Amino acid sequence: MWTNPNLRCLLALAILCLTSFVHSREIGSQGDPQNLKCVTHNLRKMVCTWDISSKRRHGQTEFCYTTECFKTKEKRVEIPVPESSTTVKITTYSISGTAFTTRRFEIHKKDISFVPLTPRILSLTPDFSTFTLTLKWSDNGSAFPYGLDASWEIEILRKETMEDVTRESYNSKLTHEDIIHSWNWKSDMPLECTSHYVRIRHYINITQFDGHKDWSDWSPVEVVPGKDTEPSGSGLFPQDTVVAVGSNVTFCCVHEEGRQVQRMSYGAKDYPLIRLSSRSSAIRVLNANASDASGTNIVCRMSENGMDGTVLFVGYGPDVPEDLSCETSNFVIIKCTWKPGRASGLYGVRGTKYSLIESISGKNVSCEVNEMKKERICGFPVLADQKTYSFVLGVSNPIGQTEASLLVDLNQRVNPETPEKLTVSGNSSTSVRLHWFINGSFAEIRLLCQIEISSGHSEQKLHNVSMPGGKFSTYTAQLNALHPYTKYRFRVRCSAADHFWRWSDWSGTEEHTTLEAPPARGPDIWRERSPSGKSLRIFWKVDRKLKMSVWSLMDFFVVFVADNVKTDRAVAMGNGIYISWNSYPNMTCGYIVKWCHSSGSEPCSVDWQKFPSNTTDAVIKSALFRPGVRYNFSLYGCKSSGYQLLKNITGYTKELPPKRAPNFTVEETSSDSILVKWEDMPIEDCQGFLEGYRLSFAKGEKDALKPRLLESGNPELKVKNITDLTKKSLKILDLQGKTSYQLDLQAYTAGGLSPPNSLYVVTKEDSVGLIIAILIPVAVVVLLGVVASIFCYRKREWIKETFYPEIPNPENSKALQFQKNICEGNKSLKTLEMNPCTPNSVEVVETQSAAPKIEDTEMMSSKTDTIVPEDGSDSETENHVVVSYCPPIIEEEISNPPMDEPVGLSQVVYIDIQSMYQPQIKPEEESEIDLVTTAGYKPQMQLPVSALKIESRSPAEEESDKTAGYRPQANTNAWNMDTPDSPGSVESNNENASFGSPCSINSRQFLLPPKDDEDSPKPSNTGWSFTHFFQNKPND
Amino acid sequence: CALRARDSWGIFAFLCAALCNLPAVPALNGTEELGAGQSIQKTYDLTRYLEHQLRTLAGTYLNYLGPPFNEPDFNPPRLARAEQVPSATVDLDLWRGLTDNARLAANYRAYSRLLCYLRGLDGQVGTVELRHRLGHFCSSLQGLVLSIAGVMSSLGYPLPAGPAGPPAPPGAPAAPNDFLKKMDDFWLLKELQTWLWRSAKDFNRLKKKVPPAVVTLRMEARGF
Repeated sequence: MWTNPNLRCLLALAILCLTSFVHSREIGSQGDPQNLKCVTHNLRKMVCTWDISSKRRHGQTEFCYTTECFKTKEKRVEIPVPESSTTVKITTYSISGTAFTTRRFEIHKKDISFVPLTPRILSLTPDFSTFTLTLKWSDNGSAFPYGLDASWEIEILRKETMEDVTRESYNSKLTHEDIIHSWNWKSDMPLECTSHYVRIRHYINITQFDGHKDWSDWSPVEVVPGKDTEPSGSGLFPQDTVVAVGSNVTFCCVHEEGRQVQRMSYGAKDYPLIRLSSRSSAIRVLNANASDASGTNIVCRMSENGMDGTVLFVGYGPDVPEDLSCETSNFVIIKCTWKPGRASGLYGVRGTKYSLIESISGKNVSCEVNEMKKERICGFPVLADQKTYSFVLGVSNPIGQTEASLLVDLNQRVNPETPEKLTVSGNSSTSVRLHWFINGSFAEIRLLCQIEISSGHSEQKLHNVSMPGGKFSTYTAQLNALHPYTKYRFRVRCSAADHFWRWSDWSGTEEHTTLEAPPARGPDIWRERSPSGKSLRIFWKVDRKLKMSVWSLMDFFVVFVADNVKTDRAVAMGNGIYISWNSYPNMTCGYIVKWCHSSGSEPCSVDWQKFPSNTTDAVIKSALFRPGVRYNFSLYGCKSSGYQLLKNITGYTKELPPKRAPNFTVEETSSDSILVKWEDMPIEDCQGFLEGYRLSFAKGEKDALKPRLLESGNPELKVKNITDLTKKSLKILDLQGKTSYQLDLQAYTAGGLSPPNSLYVVTKEDSVGLIIAILIPVAVVVLLGVVASIFCYRKREWIKETFYPEIPNPENSKALQFQKNICEGNKSLKTLEMNPCTPNSVEVVETQSAAPKIEDTEMMSSKTDTIVPEDGSDSETENHVVVSYCPPIIEEEISNPPMDEPVGLSQVVYIDIQSMYQPQIKPEEESEIDLVTTAGYKPQMQLPVSALKIESRSPAEEESDKTAGYRPQANTNAWNMDTPDSPGSVESNNENASFGSPCSINSRQFLLPPKDDEDSPKPSNTGWSFTHFFQNKPND
Repeated sequence: CALRARDSWGIFAFLCAALCNLPAVPALNGTEELGAGQSIQKTYDLTRYLEHQLRTLAGTYLNYLGPPFNEPDFNPPRLARAEQVPSATVDLDLWRGLTDNARLAANYRAYSRLLCYLRGLDGQVGTVELRHRLGHFCSSLQGLVLSIAGVMSSLGYPLPAGPAGPPAPPGAPAAPNDFLKKMDDFWLLKELQTWLWRSAKDFNRLKKKVPPAVVTLRMEARGF
């Protein structure tokens, strides 16, 4: 609480009063004056007040100080402030006039309080547009010595309830004069919204005063009444205001009594209402965004369909103009341009305004600018006798203002107006005069003008002319060295000569044709005598600028033709033809290359080109030259006696592939050769210098569907390249007889290959070869027979001994050795049985059996014989798990077992490793085993129906067994067999597993049971044949 | 004249009008009925075209004015000053009870006044594009005023006194603030819409009264 300065002051005052009271107290009796307090407002006089303790009524009081005494009815006196201290005597009297009591008080200067007089507000002026209050008051400084510090406190209150808004400080110095102070305060809310109150107090810091100093009392409040106090005041405030983007704005809606504000919206959004008074509500918008072109609407909706609104324009202050540049085009107006920078977002009357101020002359102009254009332009008049201009471009809008400045020397910123009224005059064949007008006063500068001269196809030339400027005058320039009788086009542009700034735009183009001049030389002519010598043809080159007439043919004209004129080939160079020749020293007046353009059937048109005598080569160019056309050039040398043909040259500007291939025919064919002949090709078809022929051939039928010989990557394609152009035939050798060949002939030049010409030829039959091909093998066979016969006859004894001994020796028998290898270890076999091993049967033999059996069918039957089935004869053969693939022939073999038991004979069962390792099957489970053995693959045509078994089988099994034709390869019943109750569930599990990958014979080595399975059967022979693979149940 | 794609309906209407009227053009200096019927048809077409044109223009313009003016349910109280804009909110029966001449004269007066306000609006718009469209609409509306005058003269009615020929400058004082000005603009567009809607009805009725059969007959005679 001690932080409050007011409270502290009050407390200090209280303590002071208390002490003064104690000091001044003498006798506390009835009617005693007490609590003498003295306060000064101006340091000259002070007001002393006191209390009288008695409750009795009293009359006057006599107050004495220094030497003066006076009576008063009040309990206050005003006396001068003592220098240091003074003693006062206060005597109280009764109503009747008798003295009650007298007291003396010693007043020290330090006991006197200094409280400035309450200030009085002179005026409080509102500015509603800026929400500003202006307060004016007088400081009463004349009452105080000079130079005192004065502090002011101004309190702003708002609403009917006079809520504190702010308390502001203001400091000043007293100048011993009454000064009127003015102070502004900007409200954050329009002043119309509600009443605003202001009061003020002050404090003077008199350092030389010892006593207590205090703030004055608050002045009476001054009020700026809000619209809500006016009986009919209403509206939404502020009206049509412009603020900067990001501002905080308070809007208030003042309405008539009795209505209620329902909602207030800013743009499309409602804002929470702030109640200001019964007739005024407000919203506060923070950080306002830039508004649209027409501003942001704020709408207040009231009860009874009341509505009020206002528009707020939120934009940016003006940007500093960029690229301010000023120039003159005529020394009448200075045009300044600039870029406005960021758009303010304000339009129309609120848009950015520009004014151009010239600070040297002090003149200024306001600029009308087109908002739509990116660049702004403003004109300023050129002032007489002023060359340097200091421009300040002032930019302002309701939000702010800025400026840009530029200092220009006008003579250095001249961009002349476009020259106009350009005329060309001249009566010469080589020179013209140009006249043009420039709308401007350039008297003080020189102009540099540029004339662009263009004629026909030749390149444009620029000609610069410098000339003194004039005032709105016409300028003239002369151009010389023009060509006679030539159409020229001229245009002009100008700039300042001394300080180039910018070229003006080009003037309009003006055309002019120079006058004709006599020809500088005669026409270029060529003469040709007709073969008969009776007529002479004259050729000349047309010069459009020259008029020609043939005057005389009488001049001397001789052409010498040497006998051995050689013909060279010319080389194409670019789009011309390069021709070179040796220097002929006697050709004194140059050379002529003459050629002929032939176009179709018309006689060729002669053209020629002359060269000086020191030339030895030339590139002949002509727009008429065409690629692929042969041109014949004749080189003539000129000497005093006439022209001499030096040589002929042929050439192409560009060689092309021949148009077509030469026609060719097959002259003769034999069984191994073809003779081909072809014709010469006309030169116009060659389209280049023929370099050779390409004959390609390969076997091929005349079949349109087949790809072309040349296109296919035929490996048999053979190509013969004929570079000897004199050769017109070719014999193709090493061909096969009676074979069709395709022959393609192409001609080629440096330009490429012609399209091929194709022929199909069939070679003749080679009868001799055929006869030889038959005879030789026959002869060889006969010869071999003879040799064998002789050999056999000679060695007949040895043969007999070896193959057919009279007493066979097994040790010596080759055949038996063979057998022994197959049936290894079977020494007890019948010796001379040549086919004991059926090559496609293998038998797995019991391990106990010391003598493995060879014959599968026999072994099988013998095996079944050994088995003693417990439940009759039904399932003897079930012991054999037949697993191997059986060729049909084997089925036949095993279809005759002694027991006539079909089961297993023809069964082909795929079995996997698991089934190979199956445990021994107990006899009581055999019927199930039988069942499951059928679960594997069943041939579709073999029906292993066992009549004996039918009774013991379930109807389902029966059904399956009866099924003829196709059978599913898996026994569907087997899939259901692994129920716990099923007697064969264990085995069936094993067997079911055998549905997996079938095991081929190739992998049977894998199928062999492991060694620890003592009962596993072992094949006695794994011979080369595919055979049955039996698995036995040895323990049975 | 920057016609938008949106104006295609209007173009279509125009084309139709032109097409309908084309065969009758040589008959312009024919009978009285024919001239009146034709100009009524033209005026009707123009009214429909303006109706369509206003629909797009009003959308753009109300968007330009910003919320809440472009809100579909915005229905501000009609302030006293908006009454200066000629209102089409006359009782329909009362309106029908008027003579053709009176109705035409009312139309003529109304559009002349509306045109004045519309022209005033043109100069204050911030965006160039909208200014162009307003200008375009103004010329069309001017055409309608002339067209109505043509109908009246062809029917032998005198032109009403008051704003005739080139419209007089708007007599209404400038709105005291921007919001009220926007409100005026809003009402102007709204009234225009109502007027055009009612005028289309008026001209349609008038078209039936002035026998179009003559026009059709003549069209058939010439067109086919």
